[in-house]
Amino acid sequence: MKGTVIVLSALLLAASAAQAKEHPGKASIEKNGYQGPSTCEAQGCHPGTAKSFLSTVHWKHASPASNVEGLEPGKEYGMKNRIYTMCNGNDTVNNLKEIPPNPKTGKTKFTGCNTCHPGNHISDVGSTGKEAENAIDCLLCHASAYDYRQRKPYKDGAGRVVMGQDRSVKAALSVGKPGVKNCMVCHEAAGGGVLIKRGFAFTKENDVHAAKGMVCVDCHAAKDHRIPTGFDPNNWANDGVRVSCADCHGEKPHQDEETNRHVARIACQACHIPRTGGALAKDFTKWTQGSDGFYEPTTLRMEANETVPAYAWYNRTVANTPSFIGPKGSRADRESRIFPFKIFEGKAYYDRKTGELLSMDFAPPMATGDTLAGVASAAKTLGITGYDPVPGWQTIYFGSSHLVTKTKALTCANCHAPNGALNFKALGYSDEEVRKLTSAALYFDKAAAKQKEDW
Amino acid sequence: MKFPLKILLPLILAAVVTMVFPTTRAAADEIKMVGVITQIDIAGPDAKTATATLTDNKTNESVTVIVDDDLTLDKFKDHRIVVGDEIRLKYEVRDGKNVSRYFRKTAGC
Repeated sequence: MKGTVIVLSALLLAASAAQAKEHPGKASIEKNGYQGPSTCEAQGCHPGTAKSFLSTVHWKHASPASNVEGLEPGKEYGMKNRIYTMCNGNDTVNNLKEIPPNPKTGKTKFTGCNTCHPGNHISDVGSTGKEAENAIDCLLCHASAYDYRQRKPYKDGAGRVVMGQDRSVKAALSVGKPGVKNCMVCHEAAGGGVLIKRGFAFTKENDVHAAKGMVCVDCHAAKDHRIPTGFDPNNWANDGVRVSCADCHGEKPHQDEETNRHVARIACQACHIPRTGGALAKDFTKWTQGSDGFYEPTTLRMEANETVPAYAWYNRTVANTPSFIGPKGSRADRESRIFPFKIFEGKAYYDRKTGELLSMDFAPPMATGDTLAGVASAAKTLGITGYDPVPGWQTIYFGSSHLVTKTKALTCANCHAPNGALNFKALGYSDEEVRKLTSAALYFDKAAAKQKEDW
Repeated sequence: MKFPLKILLPLILAAVVTMVFPTTRAAADEIKMVGVITQIDIAGPDAKTATATLTDNKTNESVTVIVDDDLTLDKFKDHRIVVGDEIRLKYEVRDGKNVSRYFRKTAGC
């Protein structure tokens, strides 16, 4: 009986694997070619998907951000329009374009924040209508055989900057659930280079979920192309659906009840993501000239896992001021838990008159290093006049929800020790509580028993 | 002052090894450069290694490295990394060959 079940299971698995490999519509695509979303919607497959996709964050690069303070009610925020110091530009002021020639080399290049937008740039961030629907690059996210050489900006006959797409039959026949590379082709190079912004590598060496063969969309499982996200204080745009560790692991993920009790006030990430990485700091007021003659914001880079996070109470609402973007919460607030954060500091220009952060069009400084020309260009786009630019710093707390580890997770001794990972005093505990919380007396007997059991 | 043989022998051996194989230690040194890819050679979709040739932006010299990490190989195969891309590279010399240890595009959005 047991053998029969195993054989049947194997056959079912093989059948489902074969089914997963061959996407329906192969014959039609081979015969008619691939024309974009219209092909995906033909013959009753995926009807209305393109129109629906236009209302998602991946297309709009913005959404309401109800958990962030200091925003205009009813307005949508995201890459489309945000001004902060990891990027300092946005889709609006730093729209994809050909930058002015470098004075020394005479060379130019295309650049812009919306380079990652899954349209063709003619139909750009937030565009609507039939033309926009037809411009969606479905295969960018869904094809495993996408030829990324095709996805380059170029100027068409009318002088418009167009983002190329791979609409080949080969790519179309490789459609399926997005793999890690489909996501990472955009997400790993966000913020000015590989692993700069979030500082995590979703590889088997760096993340226990990747090591188990999972892909991004196993956790970020989309519903009608609405991608669930966590509550990263710096990631405001969201599709209104959320993901958390507890969705899979439950509220009592450990065998040990004492460890489970921590879950009420300590986020899973606090122990299971003990390292972070990516850019530590950037200076948008001084750009560094590269050996190719072009300039880039001066950036202090770190590898994934190269730095340690800061820990803070977080109730999933966000403090948002010109000098600080980060978690709100406290020990007294029962909605708050202790989370780890990647700390980033960015220097950019503020308007001395208003105290507000100014944004930057990267084209002028990238060509010549003239950062104030970049501010002037952005101000012109936004209709800002009479500003007085002065350099200043902003601190940003990024959520840290990748680089998950089981074997290297923080243990009792990592936190409950003098000078341990958690600064209990800063987290709101009294001197007497800190003394108790940082003593081996808390866990000694249990750890000794486990040590005996292990050896 | 006399040294016992069991202490002296390993020291002598270590000295001999260092003299005979002077490049062994140098081989472990990591070399960093930024350069533009001029050629990528990869033998088909199942290849486990590739060679990439880059022109060092500082010296203008050509450097060829063996690339054997899965992630970079995959990026060669689907052309996420192509000729003309600028790369931040770290490599080490092993048995006279340059072996890539870090191969990242400098560009981002």
